[in-house]
Amino acid sequence: MDTDLIAASVRASSPEIIVIIGACAALMLSLWPHQDQQKYLTWLSLITILLASAQTLQLSPRPVNIVETTYSGMFVVDAFATYFKMLLYLGTALTILMSGKFLQTEEAVKGEYYVLLLFALAGTMIMVSGADLLIIYIGLELQALSIYVLTGFLKTRGRSVEAALKYVILGAFSSGILLYGLSLIYGLTGSTQLGVLNSALATADLSEPMLILATVFLLVGLLFKIGAVPFHMWVPDIYEGAPTPITAYLSVASKTAAFAVLLRVFMGSLIGLEPLWSSGLAAIAVATMALGSLVALVQDNIKRLLAYSSISHVGFLLLGIIAGTTSGMSAILLYLLIYTFMTLGLFAIVILLHRDVRAGEPLTLFSGLAQSHAGLAFMAMIFLFSLAGIPPTGGFFAKFYVLVALIDAGHVTLAVIAVLLSAVAAWFYLRLIMLIYIQPAEPTTGSTAAPATGPTGHARAAILLSAPMRLVLLFSFSGTVLSGIFPAWFLAMARQASLSGLGN
Amino acid sequence: MESIIVILPLLVKMGIVVAVLLLLPLPLTWLERKIAAHIQQRPGPMRVGWHGLLQPLADAIKLLTKEDHIPMDADRLLFKMAPVVALVPPFVVFVAIPFGEPVQIFGSSYTLALSDMNVGLLFILAVSGIGVFGVILAGWASNSKYAVLGSLRSIAQMISYEIPMGFSVIGVVMLAGSMNLSDIVHAQDGLWNIVYQPIGFFVFFVAGLAEAQRIPFDLPEAEGDLGAGYHTEYSGIRFSLFMLAEYVVMVVLALLNALLFFGGWLGAPPFLPPALWLLLKTGFFIWVFMWFRFTFPRYRYDQLMSIGWKVLLPLSLLNILISGIFMF
Amino acid sequence: MEDLLREYLPIVIFLGLAIAIGLVFIFAALIIAVRNPDPEKVSAYECGFNAFDDSRMKFDVRFYLVSILFIIFDLEIAFLFPWAVAFKDVGLLGFWSMIVFLGVLTVGFAYEWKKGALEWE
Repeated sequence: MDTDLIAASVRASSPEIIVIIGACAALMLSLWPHQDQQKYLTWLSLITILLASAQTLQLSPRPVNIVETTYSGMFVVDAFATYFKMLLYLGTALTILMSGKFLQTEEAVKGEYYVLLLFALAGTMIMVSGADLLIIYIGLELQALSIYVLTGFLKTRGRSVEAALKYVILGAFSSGILLYGLSLIYGLTGSTQLGVLNSALATADLSEPMLILATVFLLVGLLFKIGAVPFHMWVPDIYEGAPTPITAYLSVASKTAAFAVLLRVFMGSLIGLEPLWSSGLAAIAVATMALGSLVALVQDNIKRLLAYSSISHVGFLLLGIIAGTTSGMSAILLYLLIYTFMTLGLFAIVILLHRDVRAGEPLTLFSGLAQSHAGLAFMAMIFLFSLAGIPPTGGFFAKFYVLVALIDAGHVTLAVIAVLLSAVAAWFYLRLIMLIYIQPAEPTTGSTAAPATGPTGHARAAILLSAPMRLVLLFSFSGTVLSGIFPAWFLAMARQASLSGLGN
Repeated sequence: MESIIVILPLLVKMGIVVAVLLLLPLPLTWLERKIAAHIQQRPGPMRVGWHGLLQPLADAIKLLTKEDHIPMDADRLLFKMAPVVALVPPFVVFVAIPFGEPVQIFGSSYTLALSDMNVGLLFILAVSGIGVFGVILAGWASNSKYAVLGSLRSIAQMISYEIPMGFSVIGVVMLAGSMNLSDIVHAQDGLWNIVYQPIGFFVFFVAGLAEAQRIPFDLPEAEGDLGAGYHTEYSGIRFSLFMLAEYVVMVVLALLNALLFFGGWLGAPPFLPPALWLLLKTGFFIWVFMWFRFTFPRYRYDQLMSIGWKVLLPLSLLNILISGIFMF
Repeated sequence: MEDLLREYLPIVIFLGLAIAIGLVFIFAALIIAVRNPDPEKVSAYECGFNAFDDSRMKFDVRFYLVSILFIIFDLEIAFLFPWAVAFKDVGLLGFWSMIVFLGVLTVGFAYEWKKGALEWE
């Protein structure tokens, strides 16, 4: 009977199954306290991710334009999904690596942390592989529910709990909007499968009010998840309150998966509705970039600053969707990869400088870093250059290819605005670099207990570079630099993946 | 005309069921007191009638004429509704219970059930679950701490034991391949389910005791520490409705034990009609419930919860696994 | 339609009957029973003391936990019933699929057990 079909489905989803089994195993492991528990959990999670990525690579379609659809059309394995999954593995693995130290300083070492991260990973994987709006929604919820808990993981810290509560309420709200859009789409077309939607909507009457409403709801729900203006207000608060590694995860992996959905749904299935959403999306993209760059100028908390910086990056990424071409799509894919490297690298440095949550993360944490830790300061400078989009780092090429795609598609005005706004954004990254290299370290108020260790006698505790941290920095640094030196190779990878994404 | 032919036997059957259910507590309370007395080596009620046989009647009159007491600050509407809400589900459960094979009277066939529905067992579990609402309403409306605490305990206990109960009948359904109670009885034609499902029976029986809040699981009503549980503030007729509901639940559970695990009306000796044979089995289980009441001490609340969650639940899950493996 | 009626009409009728019986008793109480309220008699019962505060008080969060666990497990039972009815048709694959499902459930159960969600006192 259909045993073969079931077996094929199980095989296609084996990376997800591996991750979920790994999460269950980690959950069981976390129940028996042991002094080396954290180490075992870290290893278990990393091995799980490695196994899953090996399996993903093995399943990756050859040649790239093959699309394998299973679970009666609800789940796809194509080059697009494979690329995004690899990106998610990278983001999650680096997050896990940089978490160990942070959890120890915060005395919040609990097995559930790793379990929830793995479940979040499984959720994002389902999101990128889902070929049915409902499956995508389920993946989204699995991811979101895990992240809600992780955001409030520092149970004794008011800010963390507050952030979690805000996130739950806004997340539930936006999921509700998304579901409304989904049900309207279902009502209009009789299906939630992306492939069916594509053909059903190709001939749709674009002036149908219900269709407009459905598109708007769907778009708003997804824009909420990526934090585009005007649905960005949750981003700074939650980024600030969440444990720093989770902030890193939020700004990288969650956003990547949400973009995968946005690309698959809007550039794949709803492409027929482009006249409905393209101009609105362009306005949103510009507003997002503008607000992100301008408000970031006045921030004095490093995590809030990075939150606004990620908002402005989202605006830039949205431009790639507006270009609407394959090259726009591959530009987004490349951007997300480079963004993962540079953001995680910078967050790793923030974690290294972090003392405890009560002190917060003021910008002055960075001041005088060059004098005490020249190597770290250099890396921070490269990451910041990259975020600002200054050549020859990867960040430059990320933005460059988006602009090229935009101009090729004829949106010259948008490209000019984007360049101007990223010049504004460059200012606050440069301000940080100035803090690092020019400003002497200010003794933080009330930190008399901290011993003066720097060569110039500043109140900075010695920064211990643990092996996992070194690994994170190595990965993100080399990723940022190499993508700046050999952008063509990375772009070729992204292009291959984007070819199949438009196919369905 | 035709609808009358369908409706009339139905109404007759309903009349019988209702009459039996309403009158049943009279002999049952007498029986319970007599059993208690003899276990404790005393005669029990002897004064009213021969060996106290009319005692329940006297009790009933007393309850009916007692003062109708509504506490101050009680939520009057909910307070009055609660006994009805508690009484209705155990009554409605009887709709789905068959008492035997269809019988032939004057050439036409009548089923010995109000409705022999194909989801009978699910219906029974679902409807008996509604009984919890009566307890919640009673406890909340009474404006008494004893009632609130008693009702909270009752609710936690009832919902906790509903889970092993649900899991334990899965094995029976697997064997019969149906949720229809007649089919389940027919499936036991050769050997009764107690042989195939000893663990299932054990879990069902114990969970049933807890659902009916009989000793050793009558914590919610622990006279010693909680007054009388959720119906502390009830008196007179309203109180007797709660009592009636409890007795009906006990009868339902005895019936289910007999139907699901002891072959229902099957295997009757030739001189007994099958329906009577089923009632005899039911009577046996009622007797066992009463016997337990005067033999076992009461559990502590933490023990009660851990029996439900840590013993019965894993056992019932194991039962599903074992039944599945054995059926292949 | 006829079958459906035959199966479910008795439920409706009997439900009405049961409610009617309950109401009859309640109204009978109005007629038969004595009623003689007095402030002391109807005040909240608290072992001879005057009640300190409202009886609808805060209660232990564990009751809440139990009800959440109940919802989770009750849902599993709802999944199991159709499976059990069709057990002879779903074959070995169906059986093991359900066992995997129950296995995942058991992982969660083991977690809550070990975390002390089932501990009282």
